[in-house]
Amino acid sequence: MGKPDLIIETRALRRRFVTHKPLVGAQTEVRAVDGIDLRIRRGETFAIVGESGCGKSTLARLLVRLIDPSEGSVIYDGTDISRISADKMRGLRRDLQFIFQDPFSSLNPRMTVGALVEEPMRAHRIGTRRERRARVAALLERVGLMPEHANRYPHEFSGGQRQRIGIARALASGPKVLIGDEPVSALDVSIQAQVVNILEDLKQEFGLTLIVIAHDLAVIRHMADRVAVMYLGEIVEEAPVAELFTAPRHPYTEALISSIPVPRVGARAGVATIDGEPPNPIAPPPGCRFHPRCPYAQAVCRAERPKLTRGPDARSVACHRHAELSLTGLAPDIAARSPEAEQRFSLYRAARATREGAKPSGSFPQPLTPDKE
Amino acid sequence: MPEDAPLLQITDLSIRFGAAATNLVDGVSLSLDRGETLCIVGESGCGKSLTALALMGLLPTPPARLMSGTAMFEGRDLLSLSLQELQNVRGDRMAMIFQEPMTSLNPALKVGEQIAEAVRRHKGVSRDAARNRALDMLQKVRIPAPEKRLDEYPHQMSGGMRQRAMIAMAMANDPALLIADEPTTALDVTVQAQVLDLMRQLQDESASAMIMITHDLGVVAEMADKVAVMYAGRIVEAGPVAAVFENPQHPYTIGLMSSMPSLGDRSGKLVTIPGIVPPADAMPEGCRFVSRCPFAQPGCALAPPMREFDRGHAVACWRAPLETGVDAPSPEIAGAA
Repeated sequence: MGKPDLIIETRALRRRFVTHKPLVGAQTEVRAVDGIDLRIRRGETFAIVGESGCGKSTLARLLVRLIDPSEGSVIYDGTDISRISADKMRGLRRDLQFIFQDPFSSLNPRMTVGALVEEPMRAHRIGTRRERRARVAALLERVGLMPEHANRYPHEFSGGQRQRIGIARALASGPKVLIGDEPVSALDVSIQAQVVNILEDLKQEFGLTLIVIAHDLAVIRHMADRVAVMYLGEIVEEAPVAELFTAPRHPYTEALISSIPVPRVGARAGVATIDGEPPNPIAPPPGCRFHPRCPYAQAVCRAERPKLTRGPDARSVACHRHAELSLTGLAPDIAARSPEAEQRFSLYRAARATREGAKPSGSFPQPLTPDKE
Repeated sequence: MPEDAPLLQITDLSIRFGAAATNLVDGVSLSLDRGETLCIVGESGCGKSLTALALMGLLPTPPARLMSGTAMFEGRDLLSLSLQELQNVRGDRMAMIFQEPMTSLNPALKVGEQIAEAVRRHKGVSRDAARNRALDMLQKVRIPAPEKRLDEYPHQMSGGMRQRAMIAMAMANDPALLIADEPTTALDVTVQAQVLDLMRQLQDESASAMIMITHDLGVVAEMADKVAVMYAGRIVEAGPVAAVFENPQHPYTIGLMSSMPSLGDRSGKLVTIPGIVPPADAMPEGCRFVSRCPFAQPGCALAPPMREFDRGHAVACWRAPLETGVDAPSPEIAGAA
């Protein structure tokens, strides 16, 4: 079996934050990311899921070195980016781009949309001024905006449109990896669907590797190839997306999945979920961090911290009892619809396609090459 | 009041802001029976929260203006009560749960005192009795160590616990009607499931009716008896929850459902609703969905009335049911209107 073609790999990655530093005595720390080994393959969509405070956003920022790790390494395409100089890192940023959750605070309100989208190209000295302008226009069109929008300011746009501007900006330098930290969770359902589709189209067109951080499990089910589930700074399970949802191996994954409100009447009624809320990450419980909420916990779980172990089937789980437990996932027919609903959906799809047919689909211009090369 | 009258009957509610030319809530009519749960679902700006706030008398007027409508609740019109009368109803016969408990609980008052205050205000019982009721309620919403929690401040609790405390306060006087505006939207998914379970259970025990405002069709499917789908200020489809999910009629309802990523194996790209909700100053004259609707015809410039086509299931679309190929009225008629 050939080695998978890895684009990003992390080894024992850790990041601590000092939360309180008293004049005397020990400071309190939170271990936001606590020993993570990830292997992300070129061209896949990899999702990281978890609840508030699990460390998923910190992990995302570590992957592109928006923050520095406390320990461990992040290897991008053979280079350990946690050890290189700031100068070298700046060069690599062309390849690694980030999309933020909040389209209202991540765009400089004093810059025009055109300047915002052009900025990464200027920073990396890509193209002539004219070429860059042309590319800005093409990028805006590609994400569903108009070239004329380049002269406007972010406040003139809706949330969904701003997220499109953020995507155009992230694409400007011709990246190889796009990391989205909750890229669609601030958006309404109908707008979210438009942005999800754009991300998937762009991924295909550019052969991007997409890393998506999200708490919305349906979005992950739809977008991801593989998923890592995080709990209190650790990865507790990693699996291909279909297997994770239909046959979870970690009790926390099972709890997450059984908690999804399913848009079908009678689908989740009466499923018991776990109690409590994630504990304070400043003082995580000993042993398995999930044990206080785990319905299957035994003595060993309270004493020993389980290691994430890779099975022969490309799945990993960190649970002492995973071999003996048989956990419940989503039923295979979870998305089944009534014949009436199915009929209306196909009518809708057909009507959409007919009206779309009038518009050209628009192909994307090739990335510009930098001056230097 | 006859026994079979609905608990709440909203008729033709319209709300406008300032000098705007269009209503942000436009001709909304809804009814709710005792013990029933009605979910109002829609996206940002569709008017679902405004409707809830209007019922509670919490809309600031001005800038909001009530253009028309009545909301009959236990023999009174909620929309024409004096402040004094409103204060007597709110927190007693009718209570509200908000999305963000941190901003709706008083940060300077202990949780137990806040609940007890609501009881004393409406039931006129002693301090001790009110405190006991507060303790009771914290137990009911399954807050661990309730004796201790009574004397804690909201900031000492987690998000999930705060939302439970809000529910305890809302239910303390056994309201006949509970209005919950996105009560679980700010919570993590496992905590959301716990709070939804709790709300369902409390509602079963108390026989309260509930109006739940949400943007999440999954939450609707779990909680609702009836559902009303709102778009740009109007109800476009309403009916029993199973009917709306299994036999959706309005193109917006269908588009909204097909925009949602499925939990099953993926079947290609999401089928989206194109465009965005028109801004208030550019609202189409007739059907407000017309600018985004793949079934729109010239005749849709005439506003379609809500029409009931099956028991309790109504839709505001000329072209429903879509498979019959029925046309909107001819453009001449629409133009004349």
